[in-house]
Amino acid sequence: MSFINPLSDEGKQIVREDGGDLDRIFDENDDIIDAVNSITAQEISDDAYIPKSYVDLVIKRVEWYVDKKSDPKYNHKKYAFLFYPEIAKFDVIAFYILCQAIGIKYGPNSRESRAVSELQGQIIENRLEELYERDRLEIVDKIMNILIVQDRIKWTSLADLLSSKKINLQDLVLKDGNVILDREDFMEYFKDVVKLQQPERMYNVFIGNRIKELIMIKMIMQNTENYIKNVHEIAGREVEPNATLLKIAEEVADALSKEIRYYGGGDSGGEVKASPLNIEKFPPCIRKSLDGIKSGGRNEVIVLFLTPFLSYARLYPSVFSRNTTLKVSDVDADLKITQNEILPMIYDAADRCSPPLFDDQPQEKININAKLGFGMNDNLNLQHEGETTWYTPMSCEKVKLNMPNLCRPDKTCKGITNPLSYYNRKMREK
Amino acid sequence: MEFFKQATPEERKIYYREEWDVNQVPNFILGQLENREFGFDHFGRGPNDRYKTFNSPEYLKRFMRSKTPFAAYCSVAFYEKPRKREGWMHAELVFDVDAKDIPIRTCNCDNVCEICLNEAKEIVGNIIDTLKSDLGLKNIHLSYSGRGYHIRVLDESVMEMDSDVRSQVLKYVVGADVPNDKYENRGQIYTLRPYSIPFGYPKVFTDRIKYSILHLTKDSKIEGISKNLLNKTLENRKFIEENQWGDFLNKLDPNHPKTGARNYNKLINSIASLNMSLVDGKVSIDLKRILRLPSSLHSKVSMRCTEVKNIDTFDPFKDAVPKFVWERKD
Repeated sequence: MSFINPLSDEGKQIVREDGGDLDRIFDENDDIIDAVNSITAQEISDDAYIPKSYVDLVIKRVEWYVDKKSDPKYNHKKYAFLFYPEIAKFDVIAFYILCQAIGIKYGPNSRESRAVSELQGQIIENRLEELYERDRLEIVDKIMNILIVQDRIKWTSLADLLSSKKINLQDLVLKDGNVILDREDFMEYFKDVVKLQQPERMYNVFIGNRIKELIMIKMIMQNTENYIKNVHEIAGREVEPNATLLKIAEEVADALSKEIRYYGGGDSGGEVKASPLNIEKFPPCIRKSLDGIKSGGRNEVIVLFLTPFLSYARLYPSVFSRNTTLKVSDVDADLKITQNEILPMIYDAADRCSPPLFDDQPQEKININAKLGFGMNDNLNLQHEGETTWYTPMSCEKVKLNMPNLCRPDKTCKGITNPLSYYNRKMREK
Repeated sequence: MEFFKQATPEERKIYYREEWDVNQVPNFILGQLENREFGFDHFGRGPNDRYKTFNSPEYLKRFMRSKTPFAAYCSVAFYEKPRKREGWMHAELVFDVDAKDIPIRTCNCDNVCEICLNEAKEIVGNIIDTLKSDLGLKNIHLSYSGRGYHIRVLDESVMEMDSDVRSQVLKYVVGADVPNDKYENRGQIYTLRPYSIPFGYPKVFTDRIKYSILHLTKDSKIEGISKNLLNKTLENRKFIEENQWGDFLNKLDPNHPKTGARNYNKLINSIASLNMSLVDGKVSIDLKRILRLPSSLHSKVSMRCTEVKNIDTFDPFKDAVPKFVWERKD
């Protein structure tokens, strides 16, 4: 149970019994090494693949998250140990060390804190995949029963899951604002209205396992964030933060920044990588937008069309092929590229509109920030990142529907479904 | 006496100086007046006087009395600096049901009439019901807009939500997407049509589809539905009235187990997309929209935009007609 939910009572018990001595977490630990070596799926050809201490395990967790997300040569076998319960006890302690380090040094609203919560969510997802179907159902049910008893789930608490489209509101069974997942709740509310089918069968069929899993993961991620917040608040009352944890936090931040290097200049396996924009390779619709819009629909073209295109083309052109969601700061950590290159291009295009867009609608600047993922705020501020989603570029079909005047296809457009794919194709041609 | 006639500048003056009272502006607006942006249309050409703010009801009162605007609006968004539209805090979740734009109306009027206003009211009732019972939302206000209704949700739990989530809420409450009918459980796939699931979104969807089918007329023009299919639907809709969906399907596609339920699927898909236009979607996803100010005059139709306290007893022809209209000589 604690291998999936380290914040469970079982997990807390492990920490109480085995996780007490912070001075020894850098030391080589034979139990960890033996446990990893005993996992047959683990690649042990290189000594560096084996974590030697608790801190090593913390860093390996972060490296896995970064590599999986951004390294085209990601090798799962290198990290197989993370998904086998042989390391459960050590993993739980590593989880707490990681959260405490980040809580003390960076606090709950930091990029690092978000990364740790996402990392935990992804580890759980991958661990569940390793289980047999029956075990998987059983464990999810067990954990959910405890989590739901502790806290009823309101659909409104799942706003970011809904926004990310991992769950659709229509897939949830809702009653009075609560998401119905528990068998007893289901029976209480719907037993009498289900007439054509057996209510029990209806529950099994309709309350899908995937939904339960996603919500369970989301709740554990939320609890992880709460824990980091808690640590941060407690640490704030102390005179001097723990030096060991501060050191670990810096190592974690270093490991996370590797992700930026992958996108900023690393080899991306033949795919187009983040690089300066090449206007000559832009599709006709984007070039037309850059000249400014002389008729109606200025807002739509500048805010909804140009902003996502330019930001993705510059920072994360392979978004569709990689199928991984990133935030702007994952690629542009200090937002310099966004501030100095992307926004000026968007603002120039807005100025070329007739009448210039911001002259009569200055609030559209806020909308542009929102489409980059920084909420409805005046400035790009890392603290606000994630309040909205970084919009992906609109498909050709949507362009044709919403802005038919922009679509003047050339021969490269044939077979292309998104202007960004056009750009990628042209960039590869060189 | 003629309803829906444009108000003259003199009538606007009479309205704002003799009939209108700032206390008719609902508390959910007056309570946080200083965080809202106001907009005005002085000449009947759209609201181009925007970025106005009022620090107290008294200022608003003076402004309305002296300017007697053609139309008055206030933002659904709350700002730290509404005059600059800076510091967006959150925004009401809004559903705009305009009787004039309802895609299926049983009347054939050009503008709005008693029949379509009643149909708009029915749609609004259904939406509010779902917002409360399924989504558990509170602090829901309703106002008559002059030609339809605005549902304004000020439940804190949704006010910070982004456009994507708002759009999902919109689709949920109007029944704009056909629910999945394939469900997987322990490796087995089950096919369940929405009408056989009496809870959750499939239930909302079934109710909305039922409403729309029961409001079709022989003149309805719906993309994807041929005249032939429309007639067949109208002939057999008595089954839907009695919730006999299986019989309705059998009539539409007599051979459906073998050839698939082509007509049924076509009908359901087309009506689902049409349901989307029961509500003006742009209003719901816009986080900084301005909406007509309840209590103000909708000068185009000479009706009062007014807060509706009780939807069951509200009658726009009684409760939203300004005195000057009753006193008109023509």
